[in-house]
Amino acid sequence: MTRTKPLGTIASDASGPALAGHLLAPAAGARRRGFTLVAVALFTAGCEGRQSALAPAGADAEALHLLFTSMLAGAAVLWLGMNGLFYWFSRRSPAAFPEHHARRLILFGGVFAPTLIVGGVLVWGLSLLPDQRAPGEGLRISVTGEQWWWRVEYLPEGDAGPVISANEIRLPAGERTEFLLTADRFIHSFWIPALGGKMDMFPGRETRMSLKPETPGTYRGQCAEFCGASHAWMAFEAVVMPPEDFAAWLEAEAQDARAPQSESARRGLEIFRREGCGACHSIRGTEAVGQVGPDLTHVGARHSIGAGRLGASLDDIALWVAHTGELKPEVQMPAFPHLEPAELQDLARYLKELE
Amino acid sequence: MILRRTTPPRRPEPQGTYPPTEAMLDEPVPEDLRKAQAGRLRAAWKAPEGWRYWSAVNNTEIGKWYSLTAFFFMLCAGVLALIIRLQLAVPESGLVSSDRFSQLFSMHGSAMMFLFAVPMFEAISILMLPGFLGSRDMPFPRLSAFGYWCFLIGGVFVLGSVLFDAAPRAGWFMYPPLATEDEGPGSDIWLLGLSFIEIASIAAAVELIVGVLKCRAPGMRVNLMPLYAWYVLVVGGMILFAFPPLIAGDFLFELERSFDWPFFDPERGGDPMLWQHLFWIFGHPEVYIIFLPSIAIAAMIVPTVAQRPIVGYSWIVLSAVGTGFLSFGLWVHHMYTTGLPGLSLGFFSAASEAVVIPTGVQLFAFLATLVAGRIRMILPMLWIAGALAIFTMGGLTGIMLALAPFDFQVHDTYFVVAHLHYTLFGGMVFPVIAGVYYFYPFIAKKMLSERLGRWAFWLIFTGFNVTFLPMHYTGLIGMPRRVFTYREGLGWEIPNLISSVGAFVIAAGFVVFVWDLIRPKGDQPRISRNPWKAGTLEWAHDVPEESWGIRSIPHVTTRYPLWDDPKLLDRVDAGRFYLPDAQEGHRETLVTSVIDAEPILIQRVNTPTWITHLAAIFTGGAFIFPTFHLYTPGIVSGLLAVASIIWWLWTSTARPPEADSKDAGLGLRLPTYVSGPDSTGWWAVWITMLGDATAFASIVFGYFFYWTAQPDFPPPGARHAGAGAVALACAGFVAGWVFTVAARRLNRAGRIGAARGALALAPLSTAGGIAALIVAVLPLEPATHVYPALIWALAVWIAVHAAVGIVMQLYCLAGSFLGKLTPRYDADIWNVSLFWHFFVLSALVACALVGPVARLL
Amino acid sequence: MTEQEYQPHAEEERREFAAESESLWRLTLAPVTWALHLVLCYATVSLACARQLFPVDTARIWLIGATVLALALIGWQGWRALQQWNVRNTGALSHPEGKAEDRHQFLGHATFLIALISAIGTVFTSLPLLLLEGCR
Repeated sequence: MTRTKPLGTIASDASGPALAGHLLAPAAGARRRGFTLVAVALFTAGCEGRQSALAPAGADAEALHLLFTSMLAGAAVLWLGMNGLFYWFSRRSPAAFPEHHARRLILFGGVFAPTLIVGGVLVWGLSLLPDQRAPGEGLRISVTGEQWWWRVEYLPEGDAGPVISANEIRLPAGERTEFLLTADRFIHSFWIPALGGKMDMFPGRETRMSLKPETPGTYRGQCAEFCGASHAWMAFEAVVMPPEDFAAWLEAEAQDARAPQSESARRGLEIFRREGCGACHSIRGTEAVGQVGPDLTHVGARHSIGAGRLGASLDDIALWVAHTGELKPEVQMPAFPHLEPAELQDLARYLKELE
Repeated sequence: MILRRTTPPRRPEPQGTYPPTEAMLDEPVPEDLRKAQAGRLRAAWKAPEGWRYWSAVNNTEIGKWYSLTAFFFMLCAGVLALIIRLQLAVPESGLVSSDRFSQLFSMHGSAMMFLFAVPMFEAISILMLPGFLGSRDMPFPRLSAFGYWCFLIGGVFVLGSVLFDAAPRAGWFMYPPLATEDEGPGSDIWLLGLSFIEIASIAAAVELIVGVLKCRAPGMRVNLMPLYAWYVLVVGGMILFAFPPLIAGDFLFELERSFDWPFFDPERGGDPMLWQHLFWIFGHPEVYIIFLPSIAIAAMIVPTVAQRPIVGYSWIVLSAVGTGFLSFGLWVHHMYTTGLPGLSLGFFSAASEAVVIPTGVQLFAFLATLVAGRIRMILPMLWIAGALAIFTMGGLTGIMLALAPFDFQVHDTYFVVAHLHYTLFGGMVFPVIAGVYYFYPFIAKKMLSERLGRWAFWLIFTGFNVTFLPMHYTGLIGMPRRVFTYREGLGWEIPNLISSVGAFVIAAGFVVFVWDLIRPKGDQPRISRNPWKAGTLEWAHDVPEESWGIRSIPHVTTRYPLWDDPKLLDRVDAGRFYLPDAQEGHRETLVTSVIDAEPILIQRVNTPTWITHLAAIFTGGAFIFPTFHLYTPGIVSGLLAVASIIWWLWTSTARPPEADSKDAGLGLRLPTYVSGPDSTGWWAVWITMLGDATAFASIVFGYFFYWTAQPDFPPPGARHAGAGAVALACAGFVAGWVFTVAARRLNRAGRIGAARGALALAPLSTAGGIAALIVAVLPLEPATHVYPALIWALAVWIAVHAAVGIVMQLYCLAGSFLGKLTPRYDADIWNVSLFWHFFVLSALVACALVGPVARLL
Repeated sequence: MTEQEYQPHAEEERREFAAESESLWRLTLAPVTWALHLVLCYATVSLACARQLFPVDTARIWLIGATVLALALIGWQGWRALQQWNVRNTGALSHPEGKAEDRHQFLGHATFLIALISAIGTVFTSLPLLLLEGCR
C-alpha cells in the first residue's frame, strides 16, 4: 500500500508533450509557472512528504525528527530569552544595572547555562549515533554513484548472487538494511530524507550506512554532494514494501527480462537493437549486455526514468530518449532526436513492458 | 677587500626618563616651535598628489582603497547571488544553464570568502589599527601596499573569469576528483588566483600581528589594549595556522592538475579525502577569522553606546583566544557524512559544541556592558542589535548542526545554507556595516544619513529574514544545496519563491546603503572629531585634514584615555608627547616592547613608491600565466617579481641610519636601529616562518594521512629515494645553516672577513644540498603513484625554500661588501638566520621522511 | 605616577623579556593541552580503525587515561593562574590600570578563564570515549 502517490507519474502522464513544449520555450514556461505556482502548490501539498525529513517514515528519520523538534523548541526559548533580554534593557529598563550583576550575567549566560544545555544536547546526540551506524539485519544493498545515476545491487543473505538493478531502491519495511556505498568517478551522497541521514559515496572507497524504514510507501532520494552539471537531476525513488511483498519483488527482479508482448513493443525491441542501445545498457536474457549505463532488465516496473528526472509514463520515456542532453545537461547518453514520434512510442512501449 | 677586526658594537639603549612625569606633561610647548614641528611633520606625511596619489602607502589611503575594493567585490558576489535566486525562483527554470549556475555559486562563495570577508578584515584593520594603538602607521606600509595591489590584481582576475564563462565551477570547496578532472581553466583560476590572494592575506596578517605587538602607544600594556587589538592578534594568529594548510593543499592540487601527480586520484593510491581535510582545516577557522574581527568592531562600539568601559574585558580576551583555539578542532564537522568512525565524529561534535561557550561569553559580555550602562540607540547600535538577533539564530542552528546524527539529515541541504548565512550576516555583514556607520566620521569628518541608514537597516534586516528563514524549511523538506533547478511537486516552490523575493529586498537595502556611502556630501557640515564621545585613541586622530595620523604619540595609562584623561587631547595636539617632529623630514613611528609597550626604537617607515606595484604585477604574472599553462612567461614573471622584491628590500629596509639614536620627545632618547628580537623585521620573519612551517607540516600530515588511510603507502616493492644522496642533501642543508649562523656571530664579533667567508660557503653547500636532493628523487616517477609523487612534492618544497635561502645568503654577502651589513647594523643577517633556523628544521624532517622513515613504513 | 629613571641594563632587560614572553605563552598552554588531547584522540582512533594497529576499545581506555592527564595539566595551569590573578587578596575582577601589577594579574585572570574553557572542552571531547564504542 503506497502512502503517497508518485506525483511525477501522474503529472507527466498528462503533460508529457507539454513538457516537450517547455523545452523549446523554457523562459515562457517558467513565467507561466510563476503565475500558477500558488495554485499548484496547494494541489500538491499532499505529496510534499516524499522527500522530507519532517515526514519521517523510518526509525532513523523518526529519531532525528524528535531530536530536531525538541532542539527547535529549546532554540526558540533561548532566542526569545536572549533577544527579549536585550529588548527589555534597551527599551524598557529605566536604570542601569550594577556592575557586579552584569558580571554575573556573563558567568551564568555565557558559561554555566551553555555548558549545561550544550552538554545535554551533546550527550543526546552522541547516544543516537550507534543506531544510525548499526549493521544490517540480512539484506545488504550495494549502491554505486555514477554520472548521474545509481547502480544498484541487492545482496541477499545466503548463496544467491547479486540482483542487479538501477535508479530505484526497494526496501522491506521493519528491517534494518545496510548500504554499501561507492562511486565511479566523482563523489556523490546517498540520501533518502524520509528514511534517515545521508552518506557520501567515494570513488575507490566503500562507506556504509543502514536504514530501518517503517511505513510502506514511495519516497524520493537525491544526491546531496555536488557532482557536476546534472547534480540537480540525480535522484531516485525509494519504495518501502511489506517484507513479504519485498521478497516476492526481489525474486521477480532476479529473473531475466520478459519478452515483448505487444506488436508495438516488438517494433520497439527492433529499434533498441538498431540504435545499438545494448552497447551501454544491459537487459538480462537478451544480447544487450552493456555496462556503461543503467541496467534496464526491469525498467518498466520503475517509477521514474533518467534517475528521477521524469515520471515513468510512455510519454516520459519517449521524451527522455529524444532529449537526454536537454533534460539532463552533459549526460553521457546521446539524444535520439532522429527517431520518429511513432518509433519513440514503440521503443517506450518495449521498455515499459520490461516489468 | 679589507679584512679588519673591529670591536663589537655597543647595543643601543633607550636613555632618559620613562614614563613621563606629570610635571613634564604640564610644561607647555612654545607656539612657534609647535607650528614649526607641525609644518615639518605635515610635509613628511603629505600624501602624493595627482596621478602619483596611487603610489601612496599610508595606512589611511591603503585602508580606504582596500575596503572599497573588498566592498565592490562583495557587491559583485551579491549580484551573482541574485542571479542564483532568480534561477531558483521557479522550478525547472531555464534562465541560466547548469554550467553557468555552477560557476555562479562557486564564484559567489569563493568571492564572498576570499575577496570580501577576509580582505575586509585586513582592510579595516589596516585602516583603523594605527588609530586604535595610537601609532602613526603600520610597521611595514609598503607591505600593506604590496598586499593591496596583489589583492586587486588577483581579485579582478578571479572574479573577471565569470564574465568569460571560464569561472571555476566545482564549488568554492573545490573537491577533487570533480575539480581536478574539470576541463578548462576554471579550477586553475581558482587555485592560482586565490593562492595569490591567500599569500597577500598572510602578508597582511604578519603586518597586523607585528603592529599589535610592537607598535602600540607607550604605556599601553596588554591589559590596556583596545579589544580590537586583541582580536587582531588572535585572528592574525589564526590566519597563520589556517591559510597554510590550504596553500599546501593548493600546491598538491596544482601539481596534480599540471603534472598529473595523483595526490587525489584513488586509482593511483591517492585519496580525495586529504583535500577535504586540508580544505576544512582551513575552512572552519576561516569562519571564525571572519567572525571575530566583526565582533571586535562590536567591542569598540558597545562601550561607546553604553558610555562606560566594557564589562568583562578579561572574559572577552579569554573568549577571543579560546574561540581561536577551539575553531581549529571543528573541521571534521564539515565531513560528518564521509564515513569516518563514530568515535571520531564524536570528538568533533564535542569540540563544535564547546565553541559555543566562548562565543556565548562574548555576546553576554556585550549584553552585560549594555545593561550596566545607558543604551543610546544610535545607528551603529541598531545594526549591532540586528546582528545579535540574526547571529544568535545562526548560533542556535549551529548547535543543532554540530550533532553528527542531525547533520546526517541536513548536511548539504538548504538548512545549512540558511545556517551559514545567519552566522555570516549576523556575525560579519551587520557588524561591519555598523562599523561603517560608526567609523565613517573618523575617515571623512561627515556623518552618514540617519534616515537612509534606518531604511537600509530595515530593508536588509527584513529581506534577510524573508530570504533565509524559509531556507531552513526548504532544506528540511529535502532540497539539497547546489542544485541548478528542481522539479515541481516536492513542496519546494513556495519557499524558494519567497527566498527569491527576499533576496531582492536585501539588494534594495544595499542600494540605499551604497547611495548613502557615495552620495556627494560637499554641502554637509564637517563634524567634530569625536562625534560619538568615544573613549579610545582613534578619535584623537585628525583624518582627513592631517595625514600624520596622530600629532604626537601619547603615553597611555588607561583603557579609555579620552574619557579618563581630559588633558590628553590638548597635549597630543600641542605635540607634548612623543615624536612631535620630523626634523630630517622622514616618516617615523615608535616601536615598543611586546607586553608593557615600553619605547624601544624610533622606526623609519616607508614613503610612497611604485616598486610595490611592480612587485605585485610580476607576482601576479607568476600566478596568472600558469593558469593558461604558459609556464615560461610565468617563470620569467616570477624571477622579475623576486628581483623587484630584492630591490625593494635593498633600497628601503634596514638601511644604516645617519645617527645611532635620536630625541623622541619628553626627554627620551631612542635608538634608530635595532636588530634581532627588538626589531619589527625579525618578528615579521618569525611570524611568516611560523605560517610557512604550518604549510610544510600540512604536507607532512598528508604523508602520514596516506600511510594511515591507504593500504599501499608506500606500495610494496616501491622504489625509494637514494639513501646516500638524501644523507648528502641533509649534510648540505645543515652546513648551509651552520655557515649562516656562524656568519651572523662572526659579523657581530667584528670578524668581517671570516663572516664573508662563511657567507660565501653557505650558498655553495646549500646548492650542493639541492643537487643531492634532486639526484635522490630523480629515479622516482611521480605520475605513477601517490608515494613517489609525495616524495617529489617534499623535495620540491625543500628545494624551493633552499633556493630562497641562497638568495638571502647572497643578499647578506652583498650587503657586507656594500656597507649595508656591518657589525653594528646587522638586522638583515639576524632575519636570514631566523629563516634558516626554520628551514633547517623542515629540511631535516623532509630528509627523514624521504629517506629512513619511508623505508620503515 | 612616580618618577623613575629608565636605564635598564642589558641583563635586566633580557630577564624582563623572558618573564614577559613566559606569561604570554602561559595564556595558550591550557588550550594547547586541549588541542593536543583532541589530536591525540583523533589520531589514535584513526590508527585503530583505518590502520588497525591496535583494537579500538583498548585505545579508548588509553585515551580516557590521557583525558585524566590532560585535565590534571589544565587544572594545574588554572591553579597557577589563580595564584597569579590573586583575586582573593585584591578582590579585583577587572584590571584596567596601567601598572605592572595590574597587567600581571590580568594575565593571570585571562589564563584562569581560558583554563576553565579548556577544561570544559576536554570533558566534552572525552564524552564520546564514554558513550561510543567500536569503529562504526
